[in-house]
Amino acid sequence: MNSLVCISKTPETTAKISFNDNNSQFDTEGVQFIMNPYDEWYALVRALEAKEQHGGEVTVINVGPASNDVVIRKALAIGADKAVRVDTEANDAFQVASEIANYAKTGNFDLIYLGKETIDYNGAELGAMIAELLDIAYISFASKMEVDGNVAKIERDIEGGIEVVEVQTPFVISAAKGLAEQRIPNMRGIMMAKRKPLEVVPSSSVQAKVSVKEYKLPEMKSGVKLVDPDNMDELVRLLSEEAKVI
Amino acid sequence: MPNIFSSIENIRFNIFELHKIQDILNSEYYQDHDEESLDMVLSSVMDVAEKDMYPVFREMDEKPAYYEDGKVIIHPAVDKMLKIATDNGWLGSHFDYDDGGSRVPMMLSGAASYIMACANNNVGGYIGLTAGAANLIITFGTQELKDLYVPKMLSGDWTGTMALTEPQAGSSLSDITTKAIPQEDGSYKIVGQKIFISGGDGPNVDNIIHLTLARIEGAPAGTKGISLFVVPKNRISADGSLEDNDVITAGDFQKMGQKGYSTVHLSYGEKNNCHGWMVGVENRGLAHMFQMMNGARLDVGLTAAGVATAAYYHSLQYAKERPQGRKLSKDGTKDVSQQQTTIINHPDVRRMLLLQKSVIEGAFSLITECYKLEDQERILEGEAKEEAHLLLELLTPMAKTYPAEMGQVAITNGLQIYGGYGFCTEFPLQQYYRDIRIMSLYEGTTGIQSLDLLGRKVTMQNGRAMQILTQRISETMAASASYDDLKPYAAKLQAKLEMVQEVMTYLLPFAMKGDYEKYLADASIFMQMASNIVIAWQWLKMGVAAKEILLTKSKVGLASSFYESKIETMKYYYKYELPKVDACKEILTNPEDVTLSKSAEANILFS
Ligand SMILES: Cc1cc2nc3c(=O)[nH]c(=O)nc-3n(C[C@H](O)[C@H](O)[C@H](O)COP(=O)(O)OP(=O)(O)OC[C@H]3O[C@@H](n4cnc5c(N)ncnc54)[C@H](O)[C@@H]3O)c2cc1C
Repeated sequence: MNSLVCISKTPETTAKISFNDNNSQFDTEGVQFIMNPYDEWYALVRALEAKEQHGGEVTVINVGPASNDVVIRKALAIGADKAVRVDTEANDAFQVASEIANYAKTGNFDLIYLGKETIDYNGAELGAMIAELLDIAYISFASKMEVDGNVAKIERDIEGGIEVVEVQTPFVISAAKGLAEQRIPNMRGIMMAKRKPLEVVPSSSVQAKVSVKEYKLPEMKSGVKLVDPDNMDELVRLLSEEAKVI
Repeated sequence: MPNIFSSIENIRFNIFELHKIQDILNSEYYQDHDEESLDMVLSSVMDVAEKDMYPVFREMDEKPAYYEDGKVIIHPAVDKMLKIATDNGWLGSHFDYDDGGSRVPMMLSGAASYIMACANNNVGGYIGLTAGAANLIITFGTQELKDLYVPKMLSGDWTGTMALTEPQAGSSLSDITTKAIPQEDGSYKIVGQKIFISGGDGPNVDNIIHLTLARIEGAPAGTKGISLFVVPKNRISADGSLEDNDVITAGDFQKMGQKGYSTVHLSYGEKNNCHGWMVGVENRGLAHMFQMMNGARLDVGLTAAGVATAAYYHSLQYAKERPQGRKLSKDGTKDVSQQQTTIINHPDVRRMLLLQKSVIEGAFSLITECYKLEDQERILEGEAKEEAHLLLELLTPMAKTYPAEMGQVAITNGLQIYGGYGFCTEFPLQQYYRDIRIMSLYEGTTGIQSLDLLGRKVTMQNGRAMQILTQRISETMAASASYDDLKPYAAKLQAKLEMVQEVMTYLLPFAMKGDYEKYLADASIFMQMASNIVIAWQWLKMGVAAKEILLTKSKVGLASSFYESKIETMKYYYKYELPKVDACKEILTNPEDVTLSKSAEANILFS
């Protein structure tokens, strides 16, 4: 079973978010980056499990500049066999999906994994676009998968419950919590990652269709008030007079 | 700040920018590593620290290790962590490939241990002692001992301890009486009592390997008659199975802190059936053990820094959230119609926060400096190697003692920031306050470390290590000369260095006359003075690095405010901490004998 896992780089979850250029550009000064957790913890690890069970190869792909190599190396350290980086800035979902689909056509992938969304832009668009561009099925928000031959039985998180679906390979799957359990890269994996192939391929020059005009931050929350646990009367007064919730 | 117990940013700054691990990685020995892959190790350790270690920190205090039916029961998190550490190849990662390691630089494995200590100081000891014990066997043991023990220890199937202390022999190891009686098969029968043995029982493993100091029958008295032995809890029979080796867990010690880290009384050979195997050379046991002790001393300093680091970040968060009081207006009054301000805006609270920050970041920098020296000792040759060795020898007692002693001061200030809540068990500061207290006791008390510093390290090779240190400090001062606003701090440091010279000029003649009691009487004050200056050196170094990066670019992607804060904290240190050197100098050069035995008998002094 050959898998392609789409990975992206996102700001660390507690990074301070600010913008410049009239609030149209994300200000990266002082921001630490990580691999998008849904890609790393669930999509990549499930692909590795599938390889361990059924054989085959796991390739990771990222669309972005050389500064993304650090997260790609991490995916290799966790266990991916090889990596591809499409050498261009990622500008919108359509452009990224087209680049990935174009690469996917050159290989023989049974499954294309990605996280259910990135934790920065929360677009959740890529999976559907890749599937559409490749004309294959798309299963979103998968929290469990069993594979038997070329048939996969998948549980999807839906509002208030779970849907169980069946699909034949090849297909695209977006990974939600539960699909796998996070693995951390061990010493051996980290040292081997440097020797695994990371192929840099030129972009196929797809143009983005959407551009960001402005970001708006939510209103600042007012400060936290600590109330002494012995002073319940004060808490009741604050809840009724200031917060006006009782 | 991603979590409340540590700062990965500060660790990255230390490893990659300040102490420049790249210098080490350029060598052939470490060529298989690069900064990117080592940073990945740090992130992995931080992940585990956040998910598996910090969440059980309070619980390990509330449910301490205890003794029942001849064994010690500990929190199951220890077994889980041992498994994680071994599965991921962290245990012994700094060993050479042939010994089952990955040649990870000590700078990096030290930083990994620091992260664990910040998250939960009850756990790292089990891992560190196992690695230290395995390393002793690797360095001094026969191939047969290595093959029998090391792989099982690195896989986490067995753990290790260091067993030195006896009821009558704590600081004074020359008084060890545990006996080793030679047997025909080349082993020794071991009989004796060891107390206070950390990790001596508890982990859910098949075997615990006690690296034990004992005296072979007929050996000379004192430290020259001590040998080192591998004494397993279960010995390995010819067919490879394990059989009981007559090492009994006689009890445990209930403690004020580090309650999740077991402390055990071991009784060897009660049935005259305890066997040990000698490691290294007969009667050289204490010298061999010093390899593990020096490593453990840095570990203790690192752990103390970690505990104080966690306390600092907790108190910082509290200070940002706790509204209390109001800022003074220009006429010195307070306007009660205004909302209360958060306490971080009161200068006295800021002073307490900066005190903590200056101590923990100064301490971590010094320890990282030491680990770099250890790495350099491995890769350098000739005089450079010797210099690294001597400087490490000199700095080790300070790198153990400063974090242990000043970490306590830092934490008591963190607790103060919590006000009355700091005193309450519901809040975490009291646990850090109790946990750190052991750091200035075990692995050589502060008194013993100070004797080592002034009595041995300062004077060795005619003061050569001190000369090397002075040279390194001068290099930092020279680098600071490129920045006008750092020059005054370099000048202050220079003045304090000259005070050390004055103190030595006063003290050394006593040693030369053979009046060692007088020479060493105030060794602990000398320790305070010397380590204060060494930390000031680290702060100037951080100031220079911060200035440099502010003019260029952060290699590890940190915001400019991070570097500005370094410079402000350096200023704090030079204003509030460094002046204490003057008081030390005054004490050390005051000719009045108050504590010396010749001045008054104890019964007169304390009647
Ligand atoms: C929790 C815990 C864990 C430990 N873990 C281990 C372990 O894993 N393995 C192990 O072998 N040991 C261990 N120890 C033992 C520890 O190293 C000793 O407690 C320590 O060395 C001090 O010895 P002591 O307690 O006998 O105190 P003492 O030696 O009696 O010291 C009492 C006081 O006298 C001072 N003093 C003693 N001699 C001198 C001197 N010559 N000059 C000036 N002052 C002096 C000391 O500084 C101290 O203040 C542990 C202890 C504890 C409490």
